[in-house]
Amino acid sequence: MLDITALSLRYGKHMALNDISVQVGAGESVVILGANGAGKSSLLKAIAGLAQPDAGAGVLFNGTSLSEIPAHRRVEYGIALVPEGRGVFGELSVDENLSLGAIPRRARDGESQRRAGVYALFPKLAERRRQRVGTMSGGEQQMVAIGRALMSNPDLLLLDEPSLGLAPIVVGELFGALTKIRNSGVGLLIVEQNVKFSLSISDRGYLMEAGQIVGQGTAEQLSNSQTVKDAFLGSPGDPHNQTQGAIK
Amino acid sequence: MLTSTLVLGLVLGGTYAMAALGLTLQYGVARIMNLAYGEFIITASFATYVLFTALNLNPVVAIALVVPAGFLMSYGIYFIVIRPLAARAKDAASLEIDSILATFGMLFLIQGLLLVSFGSNYTNYSYLNTPVEVFGVVIAANRLLAFVLAIFFGGGLYLVMTRTRWGMAMRAVATQPESAALVGLDINKTARLAFALGGALAALAGVVISMHETFTATGGVVFTMKALVVVILGGVGNLLGALVAGLLLGLIEALVSTYIDPGLTLAATYGIFLLMLLWRPTGIFGRAGSR
Ligand SMILES: Nc1ncnc2c1ncn2[C@@H]1O[C@H](COP(=O)(O)OP(=O)(O)OP(=O)(O)O)[C@@H](O)[C@H]1O
Ligand SMILES: [Mg+2]
Repeated sequence: MLDITALSLRYGKHMALNDISVQVGAGESVVILGANGAGKSSLLKAIAGLAQPDAGAGVLFNGTSLSEIPAHRRVEYGIALVPEGRGVFGELSVDENLSLGAIPRRARDGESQRRAGVYALFPKLAERRRQRVGTMSGGEQQMVAIGRALMSNPDLLLLDEPSLGLAPIVVGELFGALTKIRNSGVGLLIVEQNVKFSLSISDRGYLMEAGQIVGQGTAEQLSNSQTVKDAFLGSPGDPHNQTQGAIK
Repeated sequence: MLTSTLVLGLVLGGTYAMAALGLTLQYGVARIMNLAYGEFIITASFATYVLFTALNLNPVVAIALVVPAGFLMSYGIYFIVIRPLAARAKDAASLEIDSILATFGMLFLIQGLLLVSFGSNYTNYSYLNTPVEVFGVVIAANRLLAFVLAIFFGGGLYLVMTRTRWGMAMRAVATQPESAALVGLDINKTARLAFALGGALAALAGVVISMHETFTATGGVVFTMKALVVVILGGVGNLLGALVAGLLLGLIEALVSTYIDPGLTLAATYGIFLLMLLWRPTGIFGRAGSR
């Protein structure tokens, strides 16, 4: 479904991504693990069209090259990004945020079912349809951001550190919802530092360091990998470890 | 005396509210501080005057001609003047400065064309200039009509902005432009539409104002300034805020004029403006814009 090849990206002289290749199959769930500054957000932005990679990068989605497609039109192709910091419309209500998510043409048919689906997935939002999103908690805003992305009827959902800054219990709820989304057949590409939860809902994963892919494997392989354990799974017995150390 | 002041104040405020709606859209959504905004209003007033005197066209009917023309002209101006600026602007702040300079030039261009066509005299025409009584206060029927039109169109626009997906998109771009692409919204297209819609509203204000006020080719600046005061009072990009703030400003001016001194109305307006800038720069109701 998604096929990234030879993708490099720089900010001025700084090379944030160096010759990245990443694949996500239809309905597959893939995680990218990496420390702060590894380039995870930059990669998702490049896929969503919000950052411009160097010439020669291949971004194929369902067989179409997206390189020349501006960000606002990529949603039409079935890619929806839940960005770092959520990017919700804070002045607007929950319901209005969801309505805006359904702007793409591909989202028009079945909009009301999809909305009902989002509210079933996040019952907390259903009670607060008319609340201004800016007044909601971080976890609730994350739900709005994910719900808004789902309203566009995506084939692939890009999630940039959805668990960042959330209390452990909320993280549990969130990943519960992501599991349901995955089971509904939507492909997931998740960027995370919360290794335990993100691997638990993924088929495969990549390890990223300083703008490069330095390892990959199935979720099981990665869970057992010493590199991953050293880098992310600190002391045993800490179930919600979010260590931000570098991958060795 | 108080009732009469209140009625006159509200009627005056209706005009201010109407004049401010378009500016708040242009400034809040398209991020263009249009200094030639008042000239758009005056141009529409003259257009209505010509249609009325030359073709005997009823000003209410003229709305159907002048407002679409205002939309198209603003759309064209956006394409020719603003788009190159928006394309090269590094950020919202530099676009704001560039647009101030460009529209400042446009102000004199339009004013010059109006002066050449109509001279510098005060112009008016007589339409519905019959007295009617409202709550025991006698006012001209054309003023009452202007108030009704302001509430009608202002309220209608508010409903469009809050109930339609199109209006939500405008508000979304006003507050969170960096997230627009995530939902498939093209900010440039939205900005263009908001600017054109603002021009249509300026035209509407011009038609309505011409029904009861005298106007001159050089009078646009006052409208721009008052509209700007109302926009800031109501919160940039906040339509309901502009409506309420417009009515409020009318009331304040009427009260100051009646109970203190008519010569102080303008001073009072700018006094409030200054206080707001110092004490609550996001407007009474907070802004729908993010600056
Ligand atoms: N707009 C930008 N301008 C300049 N440098 C940037 C910009 N965005 C990111 N960078 C740099 O690129 C590198 C990768 O950043 P990126 O945000 O992709 O990392 P990340 O893996 O998402 O980190 P985090 O876990 O902290 O979110 C960093 O060194 C960062 O400083
Ligand atoms: Mg990041």
